[in-house]
Amino acid sequence: MTTAETAIKRRKNPASRSIGGGIVYGLLYVVLILASVLQILPLVWLFFFSLKNSQEVFELPPFALPSKPRWENYESVWSQGNISKYFFNSVWITVVSVILTILLASLVTFAMTRMRWKLRPFVLGLFMVGMMIPVHSTLIPLFNLFQKLHLTDNQANLVLSYTAFNLPITIMILLGFYYALPREVEEAAVMDGCGVNRVFFQIVLPMTASVIVTAAIINMIYNWNEFIFVNTFISSDHLKTLTVGVQNFVGQYTTNWGAVGATLMISILPILLAFLLLSNRIVEGIAAGSVKG
Amino acid sequence: MEKVMSNKWIIALYVLPSLLLIVAIIYLPIVLTGYYGLMEWDGISPMAFIGLDNYATLMRDEKFWSSVNHSFLFAVLSTVFLIVYMSVALVLSGNIRGANLFRKIYLIPMLLSSVAIAQLWLKIYHPTTGILNDLLTTFGVKETPDWLADPAIVLGALFVPILWQYAGFYILIYYAAFKSIPASLIEAARIDGASPWQIAVRIKVPLISEVIKVTIVLAVVGSLKYFDLIYVMTDGGPNGASEVMASYMYHKAFRGFEFGYGSAIGFFLLLICLVATWVIRRLTATKDTIQYS
Amino acid sequence: MKRKKLTAFALILALILIVSACGSGSKNGNSNGGASAGNGSNEPSGEKITLKLMHLWPDGSNSAQNKVIKQIIEEYQTANPNVTINTEVLENEQYKNKLKVLSASNDLPDVGFTWAAGFMEPYVKGNMFTSLDDLLQGDLKDKFVAGTTDGYAFDGKTYGLPVELNIVPVYYNKEIFSQNNLQPPQTLDELKNIIKTLNDKGVTPITLGAKDAWTASFWYMYLVDRLGGPDLLDESIANNTFTDPSLIEAAKQAQELVDMKAFVKGFNGLSNDEAKSEFMNGKAAMYAMGTWEVPNYTTNPDVPQEFKDKIGYFKFPTAAGGKGDVSDWVGGVGVGLFVSEKSKYKEEAKNFVSFFVQKWGEHSVTDAGIIPATKVDTATVKLPQMFIDLLNELNSAKKVTLYADVQMKPVASEEHHNLVQALFGKAVTPEEFAKKQEDALKAGK
Repeated sequence: MTTAETAIKRRKNPASRSIGGGIVYGLLYVVLILASVLQILPLVWLFFFSLKNSQEVFELPPFALPSKPRWENYESVWSQGNISKYFFNSVWITVVSVILTILLASLVTFAMTRMRWKLRPFVLGLFMVGMMIPVHSTLIPLFNLFQKLHLTDNQANLVLSYTAFNLPITIMILLGFYYALPREVEEAAVMDGCGVNRVFFQIVLPMTASVIVTAAIINMIYNWNEFIFVNTFISSDHLKTLTVGVQNFVGQYTTNWGAVGATLMISILPILLAFLLLSNRIVEGIAAGSVKG
Repeated sequence: MEKVMSNKWIIALYVLPSLLLIVAIIYLPIVLTGYYGLMEWDGISPMAFIGLDNYATLMRDEKFWSSVNHSFLFAVLSTVFLIVYMSVALVLSGNIRGANLFRKIYLIPMLLSSVAIAQLWLKIYHPTTGILNDLLTTFGVKETPDWLADPAIVLGALFVPILWQYAGFYILIYYAAFKSIPASLIEAARIDGASPWQIAVRIKVPLISEVIKVTIVLAVVGSLKYFDLIYVMTDGGPNGASEVMASYMYHKAFRGFEFGYGSAIGFFLLLICLVATWVIRRLTATKDTIQYS
Repeated sequence: MKRKKLTAFALILALILIVSACGSGSKNGNSNGGASAGNGSNEPSGEKITLKLMHLWPDGSNSAQNKVIKQIIEEYQTANPNVTINTEVLENEQYKNKLKVLSASNDLPDVGFTWAAGFMEPYVKGNMFTSLDDLLQGDLKDKFVAGTTDGYAFDGKTYGLPVELNIVPVYYNKEIFSQNNLQPPQTLDELKNIIKTLNDKGVTPITLGAKDAWTASFWYMYLVDRLGGPDLLDESIANNTFTDPSLIEAAKQAQELVDMKAFVKGFNGLSNDEAKSEFMNGKAAMYAMGTWEVPNYTTNPDVPQEFKDKIGYFKFPTAAGGKGDVSDWVGGVGVGLFVSEKSKYKEEAKNFVSFFVQKWGEHSVTDAGIIPATKVDTATVKLPQMFIDLLNELNSAKKVTLYADVQMKPVASEEHHNLVQALFGKAVTPEEFAKKQEDALKAGK
C-alpha cells in the first residue's frame, strides 16, 4: 500500500502529461496488464486444479471449476501425506539457509569489491565456476562426503548444500551492485577511523538492502522448491520437506492429481506471502540507500 | 584506506568460511566428477580406468552433439530475451502507476515449482484438449500441431515456458538495479533536457552495465545446464528431439548405468560453461568499471 | 528501525514453527519408530536390531500398497519384538536414483525392491544383492507361480523375489463398440477395420501415452509375438541380434497402425497418465495396459460404477499367417524384494523377506487389488469377475513375454525407449529401427 502511494506521489514525469505520451503510456499499460494476466493465470489455474479430482483434472478445461469443488483434497493431503511436518522442515531449512547464504555472500562480495588482496581474481573465479556444474553429477560424491562426515539423514547436510550451491549465484547478483555502489561514504567512514567491520555492517550492508532482498527472494524460491537433495540425502520421513510431499503423490501407475494440486497450493502459499512481504522492502531499501548516497 | 582494506586477517575472516564450504561441497564433487569421467563405471561394480576414452566417445556421440546444439540455441535465445526483460524493468522502474504491483505479479511463475509449471504447460500444449489447440481450432486451423510430440517444434514449445518462468527473475534483478541509480543523476539529465528515451539508453542502461554482464552470464550458464522442465515435460523426447546436455547426462548416468560416461558429460558441460563465460567476459569487457563521478 | 521489523518477522516465524511442530508431533507416532521412540515393551530373546526397508509406494499415490506394507511390518514386529523395521519411501523415479547413489556409496538398505533382469544385472554383478536360494528351497518352496522368479535369476542363483505379476490385456469400451456394431477383434485385420470404423465416426480408436515409451513397446511386442511367435523376442535379445524379418515386419505393422491414425493425436508427447484419461472419460475406445489398471475398472471407489460396467478386455488379436498364439501375453513380474549383500543382519533380513512374501500373497489381492507373484487360490477369495477372468488367463497362458525394456540391459533398454518413440513417430524406417536396436544390444551394456 505505502509503496503504491509513494509511487503515485513521485509520479511527475512530464512525458505522461502530453497527448502523444498519453497514447504511448496507454499502450504500455495494455501490454503490461496483458503480461501480468499471463503471469497470474497459473496461480488461478493451480487453485482450480486443486479443487478437482484426477478425472476432472484431465477432462475439464483448465480454467473451469468442477460442479462440486473438492475441498476434501486439502483435508486428505493434510492428514495423509505428513504435510504439516514437511511444512515445518521446509520453513526452517529455507530460512536458515537463506540467512546463511546472504550473510556469507555479502562478506565475500565486500572482500571482493572493496578490499585489496592478491588472490582476489582466482577466488572470484572459484566462486563463479560453482554455478556451472549440473547438480546430478554431484549426487554420488556428495553423498559419500556426508556419509564420511556422518551427516546423512541429517538436515544439516541440506542447509550446507543449499548454502554452498546458492553462494555463487548470490555473489554474482551482489557483485554487480557492489561495483555500482558509490564509495564515498565508506571512504569518509574509514577516514573517520571506522574499522572494516563497522563499515561493512553499518554502512555497506544497509546500503545494499534492496539487492539483499532480491537475492533473498531468489534464494528462498530455490531452496523451497528443491527436492533432489532432500530425496538423496535424507531418508527418514519426518526429516523431509514439502516438495517431497508433492513427489509422493506422483506414483508409478496411479496418480492422484487433485492431491498434487492441493499440495502444490499449500506449498506455494507461504512463499507467496513471504515474497509479497519481502518485495516491498526492495523499494524501502532503495529509498534508504539513495538518501545516504 | 589502503591499509585498512588490505588487512589479511579480516579478508580471511570474510572469505574463508564461504570458500571452505564451496570447496567441500562443490569442488570436491567437481574433482570427483572429473575423476569418474576417466573411468568405465556403472556406479556399482569396481571402476576401471580408461583414460580419455569416454571423451573420445563423447566427441563421436551424435546424440550428445545434438543436445549441445539444443542447449546453445536455448542459451542464445535466453540472452536475447534479456533485452525484453530489461525493457520491462526499465518501464517499471520509471514512475509508472502500479509498477510495484506489476513487478510482484511478474515474479509469480518463478515461485511455482517446476512440477506445477510443467503440469500447467502440459495442459496448454495438450494435442486435443489443450488451450492452444482449442484456440487454433476456433481460428479454423484444421491440422493443429502436436506441440510436444513433433520433433520439429518440440524444442520451441519447451523454451516458451522456461522463458516465461524466468521472466520475473531477471525483471526483479534489473528493477532493483535501475532503482539503485541515484535519483540525482536522472534529475540532472532531465534538467539538461534529455528525453526519457535518452535517459534510459544513455544513462540508465550504461550505469547498470555490471549487472547486465552478470545477468548475461547467469542466463547463458543457466541455460546451458538447464534440466527441470525439459525433464518433466518431454524427458528429452520424442527420440531425443528435446534432449539438452544436462538431461542427456542424467539419462546416461542414472537411467543407463553409465556413470563414468555421464560424469564425463557433466565435466564437459562444466568446461563448456567456463569457455562460454570467458567469451562473454571478453566480449563485454570495458576499460574500467563504471563509477559514479 | 529496519532491524526491529526483521526481528519481529523472525519472531513470528519462530512462533509458526513451534506451533506447527507441536501440531504434527503427535500424529506421526509409528512411521519412524526407530531410534527415538521408546520401546519399553517386552524384552525379547536376542539382541535388538533395526532393519532398513526401502520401497516405492508412497502413501499419497499408492496408498493401497503402502497400507499393506505398513500392516505387514506391524505384524512382523509383533511376531519378532527384537526387530524394528525402518522404512524409507520414495516415488518411482527418485527411488531408482537413490538406489544408485546408495549402491555407489555401499550403503544399500537391508531390504529393498528391485526390477527384474536387465535392471538388476549390474547390482548382481557388482555383488550388491545376496542370493535368496535358501528361501526358495525352504519356506517359500512352491509358493511362486512357475517361472516368475526366472527374471531374478543369474547363473542359477536367484537374487530377488517378485511380489507383483501382470499381463497386458487390451481394455475396451463396450458402449463405444456396441454403438458402432463392433465386436472385439480376433485378428489384426479385424482390429484394423475397427480402427477405420471408429476413425470415420470421429472416435479415437486407441489411446497411447508414448512419452512413456514402454507403453508403445507393448504394442510392438505383441506384434512381434503374433507375427514371429512366442520366443522370437526373448531369443533376439538374448543373442543380441535383431535381424529376423518378423521383427521388421512388426515394426512395419506398427507404423501402418500409426498411418491409419489408430492412436490418439499427439501420442508421442502424451504421458501414460494423460493417455489413460482419454480412456477413462470415454473418448478413446481401446487401451492396452497392465493388469495393475484393473482396480480402476472394478474396485476403485473414485471411479463411477457406470464407467466400470462399460469396460471389458480382449486378448491381442492374432495376425494372419503369424506364428503367435492368442494366449501368448506380454507381461511379467514387476518389482521384487532383494536383501543387501552388505547387510549386517542378513539372516534376519531374509527372514523378513520370507514373511513379507507370504503375507503379501494374502493381503495384496484382497486389500490392494494387486496380483502377487505367489499362487492365489481364486476359489477362496472373493474377487471381482474381471480379476478372476484375468487370473485364469494368467494360469492358462501359453507364454508370458517379459517386457522388452526389462529384459534388456540398462543402456540397450534406454535406447529401446528412444527407438520405439522414433518408430511410432515415423522418424526411422522399420529397417533402421531393427538395425539400431541390434547395435544397442551388441554394445552389451
